[in-house]
Amino acid sequence: MLPTWFWLVPLSSVMALGASYYFFSQMMKESEGTETMARIAAHVRHGALAYLKQQYKIVGIVLASLTAIFCVLAYGFHLQNPWVPFAFLTGGLFSALAGFIGMRTATYASARTANAARESLNSGLRVAFRSGAVMGLTVVGLGLLDIAIWFFVLTRFYNVDDSQQVVVITTTMLTFGMGAAVQSLFARVGGGIFTKAADVGADLVGKIEAGIPEDDPRNPATIADNVGDNVGDVAGMGADLYESYVGVILASAALGAAAYFSAGAETQLLAVIAPMVIGALGALLSVLGVFFVRTKEGASQKELLASLGRGVNGSAVLIAALSLGLLALMQMPNLWGLWLALVVGLLTGIAIGRAAEYFTSESYKPTRGIAGASKTGPATVIIEGIGVGMVSVAVPVLAVVLGTSLAYFFGSGFEYSTDTMNLGLYGIGMAAVGMLSTLGITLATDAYGPIADNAGGNAEMSGLPPEVRERTDALDSLGNTTAATGKGFAIGSAALTGMALLASYIEEVKIGISHILERGTDFVFPDGTVVAAGAVDQLQAFNLMEMMSFFEVVLINPKVIVSMFTGAMLAFAFSGITMNAVGRAAGQMVDEVRRQFREIPGIMSGESDPDYARCVSISTKAAQREMMMPAALALAAPVIIGLIFGVPGVLGLLIGAMVTGFSLSMFQANSGGAWDNAKKYIEQGHHGGKGSESHKAAVIGDTVGDPFKDTSGPGLNILVKLMSMESIVIAGVTAAVHLL
Amino acid sequence: MTTHLYLSLIPEALIASGLEPDEFGLYYSIGNAKRARGQAVFFSVDKDALPPEAFDLTDLDARCAPHPDGRPKHSVYLSIYRVLEHIPRHALTALHLATDDGRVLTLEPAPTAADGEVGSRLYQEFCPVTPRVVSSLDPAEFTRFITDTDRHVHVPRLVFAELTLGSLRLDPDATDVDDLPYPNVGHLRDCIRELQASPHKATKTVMRQMNQDVLFRTVQGAFYVGDSTGLTAFHMPSRDELEREHLAWWRSALSSFGQ
Repeated sequence: MLPTWFWLVPLSSVMALGASYYFFSQMMKESEGTETMARIAAHVRHGALAYLKQQYKIVGIVLASLTAIFCVLAYGFHLQNPWVPFAFLTGGLFSALAGFIGMRTATYASARTANAARESLNSGLRVAFRSGAVMGLTVVGLGLLDIAIWFFVLTRFYNVDDSQQVVVITTTMLTFGMGAAVQSLFARVGGGIFTKAADVGADLVGKIEAGIPEDDPRNPATIADNVGDNVGDVAGMGADLYESYVGVILASAALGAAAYFSAGAETQLLAVIAPMVIGALGALLSVLGVFFVRTKEGASQKELLASLGRGVNGSAVLIAALSLGLLALMQMPNLWGLWLALVVGLLTGIAIGRAAEYFTSESYKPTRGIAGASKTGPATVIIEGIGVGMVSVAVPVLAVVLGTSLAYFFGSGFEYSTDTMNLGLYGIGMAAVGMLSTLGITLATDAYGPIADNAGGNAEMSGLPPEVRERTDALDSLGNTTAATGKGFAIGSAALTGMALLASYIEEVKIGISHILERGTDFVFPDGTVVAAGAVDQLQAFNLMEMMSFFEVVLINPKVIVSMFTGAMLAFAFSGITMNAVGRAAGQMVDEVRRQFREIPGIMSGESDPDYARCVSISTKAAQREMMMPAALALAAPVIIGLIFGVPGVLGLLIGAMVTGFSLSMFQANSGGAWDNAKKYIEQGHHGGKGSESHKAAVIGDTVGDPFKDTSGPGLNILVKLMSMESIVIAGVTAAVHLL
Repeated sequence: MTTHLYLSLIPEALIASGLEPDEFGLYYSIGNAKRARGQAVFFSVDKDALPPEAFDLTDLDARCAPHPDGRPKHSVYLSIYRVLEHIPRHALTALHLATDDGRVLTLEPAPTAADGEVGSRLYQEFCPVTPRVVSSLDPAEFTRFITDTDRHVHVPRLVFAELTLGSLRLDPDATDVDDLPYPNVGHLRDCIRELQASPHKATKTVMRQMNQDVLFRTVQGAFYVGDSTGLTAFHMPSRDELEREHLAWWRSALSSFGQ
């Protein structure tokens, strides 16, 4: 029988989705403002919808193809659990649904935010933030719903009083994370290519080619640019964090099942549902946090930031306090240790966010240093930006190192031994859950950014009075800061998720081997250890270190080393391919805009409208075409390495990709953010201000940084998580079939 | 169709056109199909106020007749080189500032009055020569100085604008001048110091000629047309007015790069 606490998960899921619907309907009651404002918003909405339609077609084909392959593996070769194909499919569908809802909301909200800003700053903030909250709460609501449904369904078919079957349930559920990961790869990377192709294209045409200001309706690429904010930063970010959220809860549940395998069915089940219940509590507190966000008229940037901070920090403090009570009520073993691990996760997330803010905000020395370098031209801006980005990696990496170590020791009761390793890993999982527990509100602050950005664009294009544009500028500027910290948070959570998934991978390998044993075949490990056919209990008794030893996962093993190199290389190759994709797509955009100026008379005088839809279509097609190679790379690498080198190869690949990907991703996100804000700092009237040579140099830095921070940087999260998830899904195959 | 006369300052030319000022500014800045871009500064010229001997305006309407398909004639160059000196100040009825993407702001002529400001001033000359100078003289005094026929070096008529110096106006060592977009502010400081150290010196050249667009946001007060008989000002609207009444032009002006 399921513990009563489990029901908190579907309950809070419904409440989060209900609150999301409430905020959506409240936003829809607001006016879109003037006819021009509504017309511009409609252009963006239609463009975003056209993009999603195209993307979902391709994702649909990919999901269907992979489902078919999993069906063959599960039902034809019996190498996988029969639920895998369906779990995989629902993960993809729920992720797509979350992205769709968030993006639709954002595209409805931009004009309404601009219109609300005509009334007051607080009204603008309220509409923008609560619309962002729709995305945040939808992601956590659908994530928890998906988890709750699958857990409930699987417990109908498996016996929760049997510890071995609980392990099977949790590892089976993990596979729906791969569906979410595939969807998020297309959403995040495709969205990233779209948004930066449009942004860089619009910038090159507008600022360099044609001298047209940003968000000028005469620029044919300007609507595509606004569409890009929504598909990249809303739908893409939502899908990315949906995957992290469900991934981390499921990985922790699987680690809980392994850690408390011998502690009795009841305790084991509590350890499995604890991450879900903490997620549920976080979702409820996120709803509460949304109501904390408000500001006074004429608020400064600092006050605006503080008002968002009230919501985010309020939720974090409450979860830290209430989770202790909740875990106590659940009568969790190692209460204080698990709670401290959870708090460590929360603090690690905050530290990563703060570090990102420090290295990317114009209020601090690093970004001002880049702005100062602009006095000697673009070369020094690029050098300084790269330097700042590289140095910035230190803080989040050390935060993750410290957080992981503490969480491990809190989880294991300050004991480092083979016997307590699973407990320590469960502590790491709980830390990751803690970091993402308030995702509902942290994602709201992320999604708020593009809404405010689009509201600013709408206000500019509609020619709203200066006081309104001042307000939308203030909201937009705040969005830039929250976006930078949000990216740091997304990357940090991906690192912890990746670590939790590594341990889950071994559990899934065990299940894969158990299928072989159940079919009446002996299993021979690479070191020669033999497990006899049918001896599943013997297999389950092996601990992590024993499994590592049997598979010869040691650094001196060439299978591990060459795969680590491959993983590290993949992070760079993936970044390079996606960055070049942006360059090519932006070039096509420039060509198209030149064509329109040439062939459609009257664009510059405002007598004719540009063909906005054509530019949206170019970005859409480019995004889908250009992401085939990175997607193929991410999907093929674990399969190829797994089929050649087996389990040690896969682990080497994942570790190489995770270690390099995390650092590279953080470097790119922070460099890009710092370049962007260095330009903004100059535009505020420093080092010559707008139009000066320094400004020109900073614009070049910002353009270089665009694909860094919005395409390749965030894309690396997905690469790491997708490869981990895929490795888990095909663990049975790689354990059974490999060349070396 | 009315034929308009425009005095372009960059380059100096008298042009006849069938286009209204906004259309002409757009055409002059970006060409017919956005193949070119460049800032334009030009005056509307009252042809009835021109001295008959100065330019050959015979058959003007015929030379400016629309194309067979009805499109107006964009530009017919009537004169280049030493044009300004032949056009009396009162013939210049409006000044048009076109940004490099073709947005046009029109300024009306107005009488000038001493602004009472003290300290150094920065002037950008547009026609007939284009140096940038610092001066201790106010616009009226500067005009008299430059057009003074008793001096060896003088011009008959002059178009220039005063550019902001911020705190450097009073103190060449001031540090709160981060928003000044001029290249080599150190050299500008030296010029002001030299000017202040030599009371007999009226002007000091900062740059010999304009080699980039002027950033309109740096124009302080007005554009001026002056000669030995007096000075006409074309006042820039205030920041607030620019944001409220001329937002499209102002945004465009702010997005340009220049010096």
